[in-house]
Amino acid sequence: MTEIVIQTHKLSKIFGGLTAVDKVDLTVPEKAIASIIGPNGAGKTTLFNCVSGFYAPEEGDVLFYGKPIQGQATDRICSLGISRTYQNIRLFSQMTAVENILVGQHPRLKGTWWEAVLHNPRYMQEEEKAVGEALHLLEFVGLDGLGDHLARNLPYGAQRRLEIARALANHPKLLMLDEPTAGMNSQETADMTAFIKSLRDNLGITILLIEHDMKVVMDISDQITVLDYGTKIAEGLPKEIQTNQQVIEAYLGPGAAALSKKFQRKKTHDA
Amino acid sequence: MSEQKTTRDQPSLNVGKLIRWIAGILLLALIGWRVYQTAFIEGSYGPDTWMRFIIAGLIIGGMYSLIAIGYTLVYGILFMINFAHGEVMMLGAFGGYFIFELLASIKAPSVSDPNMNFLNAYPVISVLLAFIVGTVVSAVAGLLLERIAYRPLRKAPRLVPLISAIGASIFLQNAAQLLFGPQRRQYINPVILWRGTGWSIPVGDTTVLLTYTGTLSLVLSALLMIGLFLVVQKTRLGRSMRAVAENKQAAALMGIDVDDVIGKTFIISGVLAGAAGVMWGIHNGLFNHYVGFLPGIKAFTAAVLGGIGNIPGAMMGGMLLGLLESVGPAALGIDFQLKDVIAFTILILVLIFRPSGLLGEALSEEKV
Amino acid sequence: MRTTIKNGIRFGAIISVVIIFFHLTGFSVVAANMIGGLFGNVDKNTALAQLPTINLAIVISLIGLIAGGSASKNTKTDSWTNAIVSGTVAGAFSGLFVAVFVYLIGIANFLEVDLRSYLPEIGPDNIDYLLFGGKASANFLYLGLLTISGLAGAAFSKGIIRANWRKQVQADSVQSFNAFIQKPGIQKVFNNKIVVYAFLAAAAFLLYFLPTKWGPYWNFIMGTVGIYILLGLGLNIIVGLSGQLVLGYVAFFAIGAYTFGLLTAPEPHAIGMNFWLAIVFAILAAALTGVLLGLPILNLRGDYLAIVTLGFGEIIRILIKSDMLTDFTNGPSGLSDLVQPKWLGKTFNDVNYFHLTVIFVIIAIFIANRLQYSRTGRAWLAISADQTVARATGINTFKYNLLALALGAAFAGLGGALFASRNQFTGPEDHILMVSINVLCLVIVGGMGSLPGVVVGAFVLKGVPELLRDLENYRLLAFGALLVMMMVMRPEGLWPKGRPEMETLYYRKHPKDSPPDGEVQS
Repeated sequence: MTEIVIQTHKLSKIFGGLTAVDKVDLTVPEKAIASIIGPNGAGKTTLFNCVSGFYAPEEGDVLFYGKPIQGQATDRICSLGISRTYQNIRLFSQMTAVENILVGQHPRLKGTWWEAVLHNPRYMQEEEKAVGEALHLLEFVGLDGLGDHLARNLPYGAQRRLEIARALANHPKLLMLDEPTAGMNSQETADMTAFIKSLRDNLGITILLIEHDMKVVMDISDQITVLDYGTKIAEGLPKEIQTNQQVIEAYLGPGAAALSKKFQRKKTHDA
Repeated sequence: MSEQKTTRDQPSLNVGKLIRWIAGILLLALIGWRVYQTAFIEGSYGPDTWMRFIIAGLIIGGMYSLIAIGYTLVYGILFMINFAHGEVMMLGAFGGYFIFELLASIKAPSVSDPNMNFLNAYPVISVLLAFIVGTVVSAVAGLLLERIAYRPLRKAPRLVPLISAIGASIFLQNAAQLLFGPQRRQYINPVILWRGTGWSIPVGDTTVLLTYTGTLSLVLSALLMIGLFLVVQKTRLGRSMRAVAENKQAAALMGIDVDDVIGKTFIISGVLAGAAGVMWGIHNGLFNHYVGFLPGIKAFTAAVLGGIGNIPGAMMGGMLLGLLESVGPAALGIDFQLKDVIAFTILILVLIFRPSGLLGEALSEEKV
Repeated sequence: MRTTIKNGIRFGAIISVVIIFFHLTGFSVVAANMIGGLFGNVDKNTALAQLPTINLAIVISLIGLIAGGSASKNTKTDSWTNAIVSGTVAGAFSGLFVAVFVYLIGIANFLEVDLRSYLPEIGPDNIDYLLFGGKASANFLYLGLLTISGLAGAAFSKGIIRANWRKQVQADSVQSFNAFIQKPGIQKVFNNKIVVYAFLAAAAFLLYFLPTKWGPYWNFIMGTVGIYILLGLGLNIIVGLSGQLVLGYVAFFAIGAYTFGLLTAPEPHAIGMNFWLAIVFAILAAALTGVLLGLPILNLRGDYLAIVTLGFGEIIRILIKSDMLTDFTNGPSGLSDLVQPKWLGKTFNDVNYFHLTVIFVIIAIFIANRLQYSRTGRAWLAISADQTVARATGINTFKYNLLALALGAAFAGLGGALFASRNQFTGPEDHILMVSINVLCLVIVGGMGSLPGVVVGAFVLKGVPELLRDLENYRLLAFGALLVMMMVMRPEGLWPKGRPEMETLYYRKHPKDSPPDGEVQS
């Protein structure tokens, strides 16, 4: 039995009168790629924000390796080993790519301000190693040679990769990606999909992602959770979700399931 | 490692809160005890003196309220402190002054008095003219300020417009000093509005003077505030202002000209500040290019006190601050020199204990 | 064409407002005096009546040149006609407006209306001078001068400044300069440690010997610049790096100065502490104040912080001045006869003081530089860029903001102590809000977060005004205008901060073929 990395238990988040996330249970085992999908406004990002500590949930628990983390400060949650990226890229745009990754390493480094002034050997060694690691990471995400460019001057795809590199710099146990392929063309999307797979396969990181591109989701997910109006309406393997009537209706409106069946039959017939 | 941190973090936050509350209660108790001592045990001041303090506080509070509304309106829409707002008020004070001087130099001989000037012959029209010109000057200043110093910076990081505002404030102050000279000037009011004249209200054995100028200020501020409230709540402009404050993009998509609404907001806050400036001149008399600075900062304090972005909050905050500043030194039994310290201390205390102000902030929530 | 003319009229209106403003504030006369100083046709004793009117004409023409140039620069099309027309129109219209204004003040003068009680700079003498010695044709002169200079400005701007050949030459020269710099030989010279040390030695030599030559006045001025560099470095940590706007920085300066003063002055406490020990106490007191002030308020929104600190600065000043604390602080009269440092039994003179300031500045720059490129500095920059994300990246923002405030305050404490000791006096009026604003301005004008920017900013804002003593009255006005213009046109400052080229440096040290020993994932 593999260990469970993150588990939410009856998690609810309420804004005013609106229940954005309503008693959601989610379980992600180690080394899995778990996707959260759902129509716009289904509460996917809110769920993300509850896990990463931006919001304190009104009800329910978030367990990270069995320990409750809900309501803690985001910096504490990050230093436990949960990193994330953002739907609209949020890099430190005035800093270079390498520096962005070094900021990502922040919780793992120990240098203090007086060490920085004194430049004692321990500090110098740590900095040297940190830069080396950052460059290694930069190479890993395919951005070597761009390290000294300011983050805001990088092309869009590179910024997405850099954001992931920054998240990886923390050596996370859980990586949360919020729409990693948004705004990418099909070639870039394919690259990103392969890259996410390689993160799990090569680094053994558990990945939780929000994604709108069904092709990506069906391609890489080990499990899919479907949210609609804040509640979980389905969960399972990609194959199961594809044929789930409730899911189809949530996406396309009531009555769509029947149509889709017809369409699918036709498709199989064609094949 | 994680376990330790998890268990430690939660209580330490609460301890901070607890310390803060204990400190707050202790402070309140200390103030209460001090007030009790000076007011009842020592009895340094009679009821008539307290009455005088309260009246003075309400009058100055009305002016603070008017200026504070300008801060709150602009902050609600642009999320920036219009640091030059006090200078807008100062320009209004100069506008009214020059009108009084001009009218005083125009001869309007009448049968009874051949040396009569326009100011004294038609005092109501004169005062009205002074207010109109003062408010127009301030409104134009506010509009130009927005055009030149703030509009190009709509998309800049938040510190940038604030620094620009500080620059504009320094510029306006020094421009006024260079143009009009550094000396203090005095409003020469029409005879019926002379400072020091008014109704005597009997309090106990003595009487308390309610000056005409003070009454004028208080009534006029009340009228202007009611007018503003109606504009914001009932008119098309008010609706679009509220929409822009809520969400600029959505408002623009609904066909509202956001820049236009922002410009009009600056005009409205300029009008209110200009009126406050003329009131300041008529009621207090002396003023110079530096007159807007302290009232400006205090009015911002008032806006924060009431909850920034909240118009009734700004009105209440201004009145409250005026009262506290006027009554406070006497009630606490401290030096009157320290009345500015009271205002700033209140600001710091409010921000520590209730950062969203007494009536709550009315700002659109920033997205995570 | 219509938009061109409109553009010209707009610029004309703006420029005419500027000229009228200059006339009303008396700046035109001051500028004419300065022009006279350049040409040598004016000396200090020249009365206004003897001031050559040609100087005024030169001032007006210079403004007209700028008007024409900027108007033609702002025409969107690239044609000569449009550029010339817009420049000429701008000049003519500004001339028209100014002519009307001059006509009006001329009439006032003729009717012997004294405007001085309202507009103190517009006395009969000044008006006479502004009318080119009371000429009736002055308004035509203005119109003609401004039109011609507007045309000339437009032609100059179009034909020389923005000419294609010039752009080409500029690009070529930049390219060849870069190529020159990149040459291995030159690079070797630059990277050669001996060359670097030689430069440093030359600089040290200058800093050591200049003060003995240029006299006490310049030692005083440059010492003030040095103290402002210290203050700027401190505020740069708070505003430039960690991105918190603190408007009451003078509070820490005051705490430093008064701690030093109270510990060393004979009145009112007569503790008589040693100079060096008192400096340490001043630094510690300022840093402690920073921490105590920061604890309750650092969670506030950025602009609230600005106002709270501004209030705090005022509270400190009012309290120092108040009767309540007179026994403790000497009230408005301040503290005098502060102790001066001694070295080998010799009390410091002005030259030694300058040297001391320079040493402190060098130490401060050294510390600030190392902080800036450390883990701490990166955390500050991340916080100033995006506080939410910085927290989610594992940075304890509260802790780092507090650290920035404490360190910045410590710099101010040192500056305050040094200032008080050098003047042998400190009083409440040394600690007015303007000090905070000055320091903030120098940080911003130099470029937020940039150390060379702080030095440049301190020289520009504290040194240059000393060179232009005539402009004393207009300094603050220019400050304000400069701040606004800077924010609108060049928010990054005169010498913007650069970021280190870590990748290049690292691979220079560890060539790429030998893999680094760092592991990505353990």
